[in-house]
Amino acid sequence: MKKKIVVDGMHCASCASNIERSLRKIPEIENVSISVITKKAIVECEKEISDEKLAEAVKRAGYKVTEII
Amino acid sequence: MNHSESPELKETRTWKKRLLYSWIITIPVMVLMYLPMLFDLKILDPKIHSVILLVLSFPVIFIIGFSTLKSGFRGFFSFYFNMDSLIALGTVVAYTTGILNFFFPIQNYSGISAMIMAIFVTGKYIESKARGKAGQEIRKLLELGAKEARVLRGKEEITIPISEIKIGDIMIVKPGEKIPTDGIITKGESSVDESMITGESIPVDKTKGSNVIGATINQDGILYVKATKIGADTFLSHIIELVEEAQGSKIPIQKLADKITNIFVPSVLGLAALTFAGWAIFGNVSSAIGNAISVLVISCPCALGLATPIALTVGSGMGAKRGILIRKGEAIQTMKNVKVVIFDKTGTITKGKPEVTDIIPLEKTSEKELILIASSLEKLSEHPLSKAIVNHAPLKKYEKVSKFKILRGKGIEGTIKEKKYFIGNKKLMAENKISLNNYFNQIEKLESEGKTTMILAESKKVLGLIAVADSLKEDSKNAIKALHRRGYFTIMITGDNEKTAKAIAKKIGIKKVIAEVLPEDKSDKVKEIQEKGAFVSFVGDGINDAPALKQANVGIAMGSGSDIAIESGDIVLTKSSLRGVVQSINLSKATFGKIKQNLFWAFAYNVLMVPLAVAGIVHPVFAEIAMALSSITVVSNANLLRRKKI
Repeated sequence: MKKKIVVDGMHCASCASNIERSLRKIPEIENVSISVITKKAIVECEKEISDEKLAEAVKRAGYKVTEII
Repeated sequence: MNHSESPELKETRTWKKRLLYSWIITIPVMVLMYLPMLFDLKILDPKIHSVILLVLSFPVIFIIGFSTLKSGFRGFFSFYFNMDSLIALGTVVAYTTGILNFFFPIQNYSGISAMIMAIFVTGKYIESKARGKAGQEIRKLLELGAKEARVLRGKEEITIPISEIKIGDIMIVKPGEKIPTDGIITKGESSVDESMITGESIPVDKTKGSNVIGATINQDGILYVKATKIGADTFLSHIIELVEEAQGSKIPIQKLADKITNIFVPSVLGLAALTFAGWAIFGNVSSAIGNAISVLVISCPCALGLATPIALTVGSGMGAKRGILIRKGEAIQTMKNVKVVIFDKTGTITKGKPEVTDIIPLEKTSEKELILIASSLEKLSEHPLSKAIVNHAPLKKYEKVSKFKILRGKGIEGTIKEKKYFIGNKKLMAENKISLNNYFNQIEKLESEGKTTMILAESKKVLGLIAVADSLKEDSKNAIKALHRRGYFTIMITGDNEKTAKAIAKKIGIKKVIAEVLPEDKSDKVKEIQEKGAFVSFVGDGINDAPALKQANVGIAMGSGSDIAIESGDIVLTKSSLRGVVQSINLSKATFGKIKQNLFWAFAYNVLMVPLAVAGIVHPVFAEIAMALSSITVVSNANLLRRKKI
């Protein structure tokens, strides 16, 4: 399963690595692909992860989720 | 989706506004700070001077810089530091010296703090503009889709937004208009400009029954198109998804830079504290503060962190424009080691549309009879060769076939009117002990012309030969030549017999042929070559070759238009020309070169400048200028990639 997270305020390279680090703390997540240029994170997971859980991880790193697709 | 303003544009605009306001205030601050120094004037009482500096700098740091401070200081509570943390701490400490100045005899950096913030904002503005430029092709891709469609509802033509199209709707597309979504033409003919998807500038002729891709432009005639795919299922949506996903894909060379970026900010915070302590003990507090600020603001994780992704963005954007989609960033790095390029024959080197060239009845068989039996058998198979025979002479009535069997890689057997027939290649005949001795020369002649020859036999008797040829793509020869010039070894792999394959390979100049390979064995052949120590790129259509594409170090899937398995291959070519292979190699090499350059500069910058700041040689203002320049350089350097001829 794949989910695309659009993040608000991701404006530098360390922002991207912060968000990636925080997302990787969710054990169900297998892969995170994040780009500071598209300001999107794409997570791959086997089991279903709730949008709230993803948003929470992004928030923990200090950023806001605009949209989860 | 809202297309009115892209987030990039909004970001650039915000920084522009901040830039303007910050300099409106900072220029008077600079005049106030430096005029007295330059002319040794003492117009104002030093206390009043300090107060004015504090009052003027306040809005620059705390209002214009608010979002930076907020994002930066949050890091100190959550331990997710970013580059704002460094700027926030640096400017606030500098500003505070203006207050402490009233109580202790230390240097006042409050005016400097405004300058740092103003330069930071300026740098961000320039960087965001350059970044916008870097992503322009990808953004264009996002905006490529049509907004509205004219559809037939009953007998009425109505215009509806693209999101309301349903599968099966008949869309009416006038000349000059975009085809709203993927579909099949039900009426009309025209040529369609597919350059935005395939990079091929020559329009493609379409007629009833042709597939069309959404977002391509109808050139001359009115087309009636039945919508077959909508929303996220369209070809364009798949391309966008693929390109967007590739942006975040990791390239091995980036690993070290990523690791450093991860620990960069906390390390710099520690280093700044040490610098402060060192200078406070061995120097004085004023210089300790100044040098610590320099360390904070000179260090920039952005140059390091952006070096790879920004070059990848520019590179993949350039590719997308030419119908080259980089699906895995890793392929860019692997490509430089590739020495051998293996091409699948059918559909890759050839057009993939075989046609019957010769029908040779033998042993008193009539041509009519030969065609009837062959077509009746082949009609039951989906193989491209079978289709070529059936399409060559469509019949009104076919014979009834029983005991039909497909013998993979060999041919077909079946019984018609209690007679058992075989149609297929030499292998099939040999297995059934059908002697070809009398026809050997004839078969050989056809094969040496690059034609695939099929033999029809009834029990032990040969009834005739049917030769099929697949014409070469026009530019295959040039592409192979270009690869040889660049020092690549080329191989063609095919299920065809050796002789036919060699004739074709000779025509276009391919060096080696691996013939008579079953589709499922292709990946093993790739593996064999890899085991000899070569890095291999495999080029195929992605439908039958998926395992070989995966096995290769770089898999290049190619097809024409939407006729392609986009999920296979590290690089996907949406055009059918082999020129795309040469371009992919050029693009990968150029992009990887840029990445290496960027990483070198980013590392060199930090390795050189941070120690200078620690040593107290760089004034905080110059430290901030250097920092801004470092990330601007990386992004602008990536944009220079566009000058490369691909």
